[in-house]
Amino acid sequence: MRPAVAGMALGLALAVGVPTTWALTRPPAAAGAPVEQVLTAPAPPSAPPVPGVPVRDAAPLPVPDVVPPVRLEVPALGVDAPLEQAGVRPDGQMALPDDVGRAGWYRFGPAPGAPGSAVLAGHVDDAEQGLGALAPLREAEPGQEFLVTDAAGETTRWRVVSRELLDKRALPVDLLFGRTGPPRLTLVTCGGPFLPDVGGYRDNVVVVAEPAR
Amino acid sequence: MTRTRTLGIATVAGTGALLALGVAPASAADTATVSVLHAVPDTPVDVYANGERLIDDFRPGTLTDPLSLPAGSYDLALFPADAPDGSGTPLLSADGVAVPAGANATVVAHLSADGQPALTPFVNDTSAVPAGQGRVVVRHTAAAPAVDVRAGGQVIVPGLTNPDEAALEVPAGTVSADVVVAGTTTVAIGPADLAVTEGATTIVYAWGSEASGYELAVQTISGAHSAPSGVPGGTAGLADSAADTALPLPLIGLSALGLLGAGVAARRLATTRG
Repeated sequence: MRPAVAGMALGLALAVGVPTTWALTRPPAAAGAPVEQVLTAPAPPSAPPVPGVPVRDAAPLPVPDVVPPVRLEVPALGVDAPLEQAGVRPDGQMALPDDVGRAGWYRFGPAPGAPGSAVLAGHVDDAEQGLGALAPLREAEPGQEFLVTDAAGETTRWRVVSRELLDKRALPVDLLFGRTGPPRLTLVTCGGPFLPDVGGYRDNVVVVAEPAR
Repeated sequence: MTRTRTLGIATVAGTGALLALGVAPASAADTATVSVLHAVPDTPVDVYANGERLIDDFRPGTLTDPLSLPAGSYDLALFPADAPDGSGTPLLSADGVAVPAGANATVVAHLSADGQPALTPFVNDTSAVPAGQGRVVVRHTAAAPAVDVRAGGQVIVPGLTNPDEAALEVPAGTVSADVVVAGTTTVAIGPADLAVTEGATTIVYAWGSEASGYELAVQTISGAHSAPSGVPGGTAGLADSAADTALPLPLIGLSALGLLGAGVAARRLATTRG
């Protein structure tokens, strides 16, 4: 009688425990503070009233030179990706490099280090090319270091504060591509479940980093 | 009746508040953003608004920063820069210039087509443009007949006359622009490299006169940007997280085994009891 009870208990424990343990030990879909929270810019301090009226020359100015970022490294995740300058596709979405080994910097937004959110994004995979350079982003953890090198050879250091899966249909694009507030580095790729009938992923993996001090 | 009186009082209050120019506005709802461009050749001026000096020694070809002014009606007057005060006969004046709350406007002192000084308020379109685009506005404020505006040699604005404007949305970037006498290839201004800033309104003024020469002035108003509509991603399903959300097969087997074991044990228990 005793062995039967023990066997039953053991069996039930196994039946319930295995899936529970599996569910509890899976990597969480998000880490750190929510993306929307870390990208919400604090109200800018109101400028003191300037005496008099500032006046400037109205002659056409040359286009200001922006030094673009050219390389992204995440040592902890084994990411080392060349960066291209990326714009907008005809359908209004951000244009990404076709080469999944590269990532794009949204050139109309801030450069890394300028006020606002500098966006680096890349394809997570491709049927012929395999996994993309940014695929490991889904394992990014708060505190990890990101390195961005610009075309002048200057390297800036960033620390991850947030990783989250965000539904593409409700992506807070105005925050992700915000041009005001403190400097932020925002990395975007795809993730979540793959939807074969759409031919794409349901979510974006978004990782936000702030300047490392 | 009451409403009319209220409006009347509001106008007076707006005018009175002008004395406090330079003081931070109470709120954006009752202020307007006004810039002033001086495009009358060879004539430095002082600018007065409702009798108060607003800009001292304002030079041709210069532009003020955007000023936040209480909405209302303004009497504007330009005096020679060496005039002691705003009394006497101004070079140029415009009374009752309406500055509605929330508006963004540029007041331009310039020459009319036949060379007479004129003061023209333009309302600036600062509405959002699609991501990747910039808005270009061209304004004819020169003592000249109709012109065509060209970009890269192609006419983009035909037959523009003083003091009219034309607006277009174009992909951001640098364009080589020039101004020609309408219907001809006779270049009047340029060519000049113009930066069409993404997400901004770039306003280009053609100004000057035949005697003093024709020039371009540029005013850029940022804040018209839009974000891209989304970020596309992979197409292969190699990083499918559904593979992670489903219990792996070996674990399903192990769990089922446990259930089977429990069933067998329960049966044995029942048999033993029976």
